[in-house]
Parts: sequence; C-alpha cells; structure tokens
Amino acid sequence: MDFKKLMNEKEFIILDGAMGTMLQAAGLGAGENSEMLNLTRPELIEEINLGYIEAGSDIFYCNTFGANRHKLRSVGKTPAEIIPIAVEIANRAKARASRKAYCALDIGSIGQLLEPNGTLTFEEAYDIFKEMILAGKDADCIVIETMTDLIEAKAALLAAKENSDLPVLCTMTFEENMRTFTGCCIESMAATLGGLGADAIGINCSLGPRELYPAVEKLCSVTNLPVIIKPNAGLPDPVTNKYNVMPEEFGELLKKMIPLGIKIVGGCCGTSPDYIRAVVKNFEGEKCAAVKKTLPSMVCSANTAVVIDCPRIIGERINPTGKKRFQQALREHDLDYICNQAIEQIDAGAEILDVNVGLPGIDEKEMMISAVKAVQSICDTPLQIDSSTPEVLDAALRIYNGKPIVNSVNGEEKSLNAVLPLVAKYGAAVVGLCLDEGGIPKSVEGRVAIAEKICRRADEYGIPRSDICIDCLTLTCSAEQEAAMQTLEALRICKEKLGVRTVLGVSNISFGLPQREIVNRTFLTMALTKGLDLPIMNPNIASMTSAVRAYRLLANIDRNAEEYVANYGGETPAATAPAVKQEEMTLGYAMSKGLKNDAAAITAKLLESTDPMEIVNGILIPELDRVGAEFEKGKLFLPQLIQTAGVAQSCFEVIKEYLSKNGAAGVSKGTIVICTVKGDIHDIGKNIVKVLLENYGYTVIDLGKDVDPALVVKAAKENDVKLVGLSALMTTTLGGMEETIKLLRANHECKIMVGGAVLTPEYAEKIGADYYARDAKQSCDIAKEVFGQ
Amino acid sequence: MEISIDINEVKRFMGYGGMTSVDERQERLIAELKALMEKTIKPAAVWRVFDITPTDEGPALAGTALVLKGADIRRHLAGCDRCVLLCATASAKADELIRRKQREDMEQGFIADCIGSAAAEAVCNALERELAEKLKGKYMTWRFSPGYGDLPLAIQPQLLAVLDAPKRAGVTCLDSLLMVPSKSVTAVIGLSDKPVEKGRQGCAVCNMADSCRFRKEGVHCGL
Repeated sequence: MDFKKLMNEKEFIILDGAMGTMLQAAGLGAGENSEMLNLTRPELIEEINLGYIEAGSDIFYCNTFGANRHKLRSVGKTPAEIIPIAVEIANRAKARASRKAYCALDIGSIGQLLEPNGTLTFEEAYDIFKEMILAGKDADCIVIETMTDLIEAKAALLAAKENSDLPVLCTMTFEENMRTFTGCCIESMAATLGGLGADAIGINCSLGPRELYPAVEKLCSVTNLPVIIKPNAGLPDPVTNKYNVMPEEFGELLKKMIPLGIKIVGGCCGTSPDYIRAVVKNFEGEKCAAVKKTLPSMVCSANTAVVIDCPRIIGERINPTGKKRFQQALREHDLDYICNQAIEQIDAGAEILDVNVGLPGIDEKEMMISAVKAVQSICDTPLQIDSSTPEVLDAALRIYNGKPIVNSVNGEEKSLNAVLPLVAKYGAAVVGLCLDEGGIPKSVEGRVAIAEKICRRADEYGIPRSDICIDCLTLTCSAEQEAAMQTLEALRICKEKLGVRTVLGVSNISFGLPQREIVNRTFLTMALTKGLDLPIMNPNIASMTSAVRAYRLLANIDRNAEEYVANYGGETPAATAPAVKQEEMTLGYAMSKGLKNDAAAITAKLLESTDPMEIVNGILIPELDRVGAEFEKGKLFLPQLIQTAGVAQSCFEVIKEYLSKNGAAGVSKGTIVICTVKGDIHDIGKNIVKVLLENYGYTVIDLGKDVDPALVVKAAKENDVKLVGLSALMTTTLGGMEETIKLLRANHECKIMVGGAVLTPEYAEKIGADYYARDAKQSCDIAKEVFGQ
Repeated sequence: MEISIDINEVKRFMGYGGMTSVDERQERLIAELKALMEKTIKPAAVWRVFDITPTDEGPALAGTALVLKGADIRRHLAGCDRCVLLCATASAKADELIRRKQREDMEQGFIADCIGSAAAEAVCNALERELAEKLKGKYMTWRFSPGYGDLPLAIQPQLLAVLDAPKRAGVTCLDSLLMVPSKSVTAVIGLSDKPVEKGRQGCAVCNMADSCRFRKEGVHCGL
C-alpha cells in the first residue's frame, strides 16, 4: 500500500467504526474474547469488515486488536493461529466489496502495564508486538491503537518499523485532562511517535468527538504528520451501556474538527457503519486544512515536554567523573544514590538531567539501562543520554520513555557515522561538539565550520535543525584566557547562522582558579546573553540556578516575574530557630526527633574527632536498638521506627562519603540478598527491611520486585550469601515464595527469612523457610543471629 | 472527580489505629504528603449496572460470562436484582509518587503508600456518592471486593475485562492477580428497590483476619 500516494489522492481518509460494539450486538458477552470469533464465526467478521467498506471506509481494521500472546493465553491460542486468519477474512471482504479499501493489522494494548508501573519489560513487550506483526504481514498497513502508555506505544512502533515495511498509524487514548491514564501528554506523544517514524498519529477511544475537540486541537498544533481522530460515540450510560451520540451528530461533530487540520477519521466504541456513513456524508466536498508548521525545539519524557524556547538548565551531577562517592555507587549498583542525585537537582531547578555512568570496570551499557529506567521511574524530567559509546547510546535510546537528547556527536567521521543514524532512527535531539580529528579548533571560524559540517550531515539523515544543539566547548580560562570570548562568539554565530540550539558545559571555565563560583556564574550570564539555550551545570549551586532565573526575568521570558517570585519571593533570610540549637544537640536527640539534616551535620562534625566505626557502633546502632525495643513493646509504631531509620541513613551517607573520600572501605557485617518474589509488585515492606538492615551495617543486595527465583539463586551464589530475605504481600504470590525457597535449597546453602502481610509463622515453616520475620525489626534480629553479632 | 482523603484512615493504614497521637513533625509530614498526593494523582473509575440471576455457583451477571462464586457474595447480594460492578483507582501517578518518595526517604515513602491506599478508598467513596446520585431511590449494599470471604480473587481479570477497565480506567491485572496501578479497588454493590441491609465489612470476610495487628491487640481497624 502506498500510503503517501493515498494521502495525496484523497482529501480525507475514512477509517472504520467499532468492531467490539458490532460483535456485542451479535451476541458476544462483555469481557469475552473477540478474536476467537475469527475461528468460530469467520462469516460474521467478514460481514462486519464488508459493512464498513461499503459504508465508506478506506482503511478498515482486522479483528486482531487483542490477538497478542498474553490475551490469547486464556483461550489457548497463539497469534500465529489467529492473525493470518483474521487478515484472510479481511482480504475476502475486500474482494467482495464494491469499492477499494485497505485492511490494517490492528494492534491494541497488551493488557499488562510495562515497567515501572507494571512488570512487563520493554523487550518482552517488543517481542509480543513483533510476533503479531510477523503474523500479520499480509495486511496492507499496521494500526497501533488505544495506547495509554507511551513506552508501550514505542515498543509496538519500534517492533513495526524493525520487522515490517508497512505504513504505521498510531493512536493513543486521552482523557478530558488531555493526558492518558499513565499521564502521557499530547506533546510527548507527538514528539516521540513522530520521531520514531509513525506515518500518521492521532487519538482514539475514551470519549466522544465533543470532549476530544481540545485534544485534537492540541495535537494538530504540535505535529506535521497526518492527524487521526477516531472517537467513541459519546459516553456510555453505566446503567444501559448505550452511547449518547447518534450517527448524524457524530458526523457533524467530526466535521467541526476539519479546520483544526485533521486528515484521517473514523469511529471507536459505540459506532457502527451508520456512523461511518454519516462521516462520509459530512466530509463530502470538504478540504483538508492541515498546514505545515515550524515545530518548536522540544525534548520530553512521557509526562513532561520541555520546549527549548528559552534557557533550560541541564543538571550535570549524574556523572562519576572526579566523584569518588558516585564511582562507589556505580560499582555497588546503587540506584537509590543515582535517583537521589536526580531528585536533588530537580528540586534545585534542573529541567533536563544529563545521565553519564561511564566508569572503567563496570558494564556501562547495563548500567545506563538500569539508571535511565530507575530515574524515569521516579521523575518526569527529560534526560540527556551521555556516553561516548554508540552501543550504550543505542541501548538507552531504545528503552527511554519519550524524546531524549543524545550527548554527543562530533565532527569526526567515525562519530558522525555512528551516532547520527541512531539519532535519526529514534527521533532524538543531539549535542554536536565543535571538535574533530584535528582536536578543538582555536579559531571561531574553525568551530563554526565543524558545526556546519555536523548540521549538513544531520540534514542528510533528516534530523531537523531544531533537534541539533551545538556545543562550542568551554575551555579552561586559566590555561587559555583568550578562549572564553572565542567560545561565546562561536556560539552566537552558530545560533544565528545555523538555526540550531546551543549548549555549553559551563563549570569547566574556572578550573584551577580560586572562588570558581564567581567565574562560573559570570561566564554563564555572558553566555546567556549570546544565546545559550542549554547550560549544562550544577543546579544545586544556588547562584548558578538563580543566574538563569534572573536572566529569564530580565530577558522578558519569565512574564510578570512569576517564576522568579515563586522561587525567591518567600525566602526569609533566617530559618525559624529550632527548640534546641544544633551545636547543643546530640546525635541521639536528632535521631529521636527525626531531624535528618541536623543529624547529618552532627555526624560530619563528629567525624572530625571520632572514628567512623565508633559513631556507628557507639551511637547509631544503640539508638536504633532503643527505638526497636520500644517498637517491639508497642510503645512506638512502624512510622516512628522508619523515621529513626531514615535519620540513621542520612548519618550513614555522611560516613560513607567520608570513607570514600579517604579511600577506606566501609566495614560490612555481612551480605544479605533480599527481594519481593515473582508475581508480587508490592515492595514497600521489603524496602523498609532494607533500610533497617543497612542501618545495622549489613550490605544488602536488593533484587527489587517481581524477581525470578533463578535470579535470587544466582545472586545468592555469586555473592555467597548466608542469608536471603523474601517478601510477598498477597496469598496469590506466596507460591512464588515457595518456589524460590525450593530452588534456593537445591542450589545454595543459606538461611532464608520470609515476611509479608498475609504470612504466618506456620505458613513460613510449611514452605520451608528458616525464619519468619514479623516486621523489619525482627529481620534485623534474625540477621544478628545468622551473622553472630 | 472530587476526592477527599481521610487523615484518620491514613493513620489507620500507618498502624496507629486511631489510639495514638502522632507527633507534630509526622503530623505535618502527613498533611504535606496528602496535599502532594491530591495534587499528583489523576483518579479514574468505571462502573456498570448488571442484572443478576442466581445460579448454583452464585449470582451470574447478565450479558457476560461472569459468575460471582461463593456463599458470601450470595449473602451480600441477597434481595438484590441488580448490582453495580465498579473499578476505581488513584492512578499510576500515585504509584510513581510512592516510588519516588521511597527512594528519597523511607519514612515519607511509607506515609505516601498509606495515603495512596486511603486515596483509593476516597475515589471509591466519591464514586459511591455519584452512584447514589445516579441511582436515586435504589437501595445499595456495601462494597464487596474479590478476595473477601469466599469470593475468589481469581475473578479479578474477568471482572476487569467485563468493565473494560484497562481501557476505561487504566487498571490492569498481573497473572498473580495483583492490580496495576496498585492503589486500585474493584467491588460489587448490590442494588434493590426494597431496603436492604447495607452492612459493613467486619472481620468475618476479611482476608487479613488471621494476621491482623489490630485484632491481636483487641481493637478494630474500623472498616
């Protein structure tokens, strides 16, 4: 099928109406599998297909919406047994029809959410879609629809692009707040799916044409792709299950969207051939109003789109260079540490986060995937994937949810040939460094020439200028004093001449100078006035972030000083004095009152005169013991225990940092593997146990949630652990616990403790555990017993 | 959907059981996180009314293959000719906030988790108010969920499919029958033209009855 030709020939493309509604009208019960009808009642499906073609559909959907491995399992079928037959039925309908039409392989949501909301991994989802796409190769095009999770839509689209040459139409389902159920916004959908090469994008299901008007309006304003709209027949009545918009009104309401620029129209739940006929009637003689727009430069996560129309702060702290504590975290696969670096920067004002996890001796690709997933699971801030290895970039671009920036490509042939195809394929933005085989040119002209070369090459790959961010490179001022102004001049010219965005790592300027903040801040301000869009900097330094905010105020970007006042208006010079001054406070007092910051400060002070281990064994642990004992007696409650543990954790962080700086290894009392078992995703209990165990000086290898028994065995063996902790919340997941214990018993000699809401000591014994841990406190007692401390 | 999260319910989920006064700092933390949760979540719900016919296994829902099995649900729907099937969720955004807070600070993570649970209840309460409005003049029983008493949790996937909940509320279910997003509720409410006993949950049908901390201490969670 020549999709472009069809787009050019026809003013509007008419899609079909609902399949499920027609099937239910023919007797299918709610919630029953509709794909089985391809086998049991093929003539019914063929009549529905034919009915839509005759009603005027140019593209109609095969009855394959839920024909994925996961959903078909309940009826004991595979996609290969269902999909080719559904396509055959569609082709029969085409052959019988009086007019030309095309059939689409219809791909709906898998029915299970992907990580981090659910348990399905990106690659599993990709594989499920790939199977459908291969089975449906005889369709004329592919439709991916009713998606609510952007990463699932991405998995489907990528599977389609990599396993088929058919055109791909992609629609997602938005609610009245113009977001999907998982929070995806329209801008993010347009940028991400458009970037990945969808042939048309749009909106289907959830609401009627009246309610979806604003969403369609928004979508038409942020994409140059043909826009699809396939709404429900209004809203269903929960009592009668009837939809409230009739065919004629449906057609009229869709017609009202023509001025917005829609190109492809149809109906979803509740619609029938009558609705399609009404659409055809209403659209006859109308002209498509889509116009080509200049799209803004934008990066996004699924939930947040950041338009680069003014200076945006890229946080640079997720990077191990020169940071011993960060390097230690990478070696220990400590994702909590990385996530906290993310949260800290976001709270300080970062709008995009650079993620660099390259360190000799670690598997950078695996670490990058883990870090991107972990950071994206806790925040909506778009990321900049920072690596010099194309393979790492590729792996991260695949699983990234949204449209990231790639950091970086440069003017070297090798770099251009390796990085630009990835940027084009995944539809990312890219940082282009002004250096090549000959190093960094000294002259302004030399740098601009490299920037031009990068742009030319990017043009060849179809990467728009708005997605290119040129870095004219900051050199150290103490070494090359004349270079600062050259960098800024090159930046100005690139911005004006090439139509690109500009990016600059600013902190490097002051290397080797005293009072670096003064130089950094001034250089940043100078660069902003020359047109710097993306400063890569440490947002935790207040004077740097405030310089950007002040610039946005002075440049009339921050209208009415809203952002500025919101950030600095309420600031009072002195914080309210605590009941006890920090100097007079003991660590024990701070812990008992839940004063994290004070406790950390006192610990830092104590470290000047006290051995770290003495602080741990002499103060932190006795206080934890005291609180634990009170908890056991029922005098204190779980939140209070966790509160104390949280404070202790902040003290341990200070001690870790201290040990790391001084090259000393921490003393571990033993290593414990813990996880929430296969099938279970409620991991809060396990996480509480982890914090407490770490407080007592144990090294905890946290395998996370929904963990395969084999992985637990692997981790237990590799680290030769003496104790494994398993958690399960539900009766339905206790089976996963039992299975894990069996596999551990067969493969590794260790003690096993189990815990979880529905667990009882009797049941723990029955499934072969050594210990039943009633709560987090008891887990620590068990550890003490096992490790003999 | 306007929801209001009940602070006392949050404290109950935290294990305080309404008998302990929470310290001022934690009180403030609960209030802050509650406000943040309310701002963050995008509650969603779907419900549908079905005629029910008694069968040997239990009440069957007309127009579906769903049979609500067990003696407890039969008792729950006694005297009702119809029922409301509902699914309500505090949304994936609640899970995300809980995840984030756990990484940041376990105490806040724990409190956020309890607020998330209370938020799901609040969505149900809001939905029940909507039901009362839409079904004026009908008498309703309380919300009976899969897993209560002998109503098997195993009907969860089918119940969600009947409601088209993945599409209409964004709620799905794992093979292990856990719902995703996790702060979600499904339930059955009986409908009748005649007065029926609304009842309340009580310990008899609670699947936590054996391991309940409140019961051990001789008190009641309040549900």
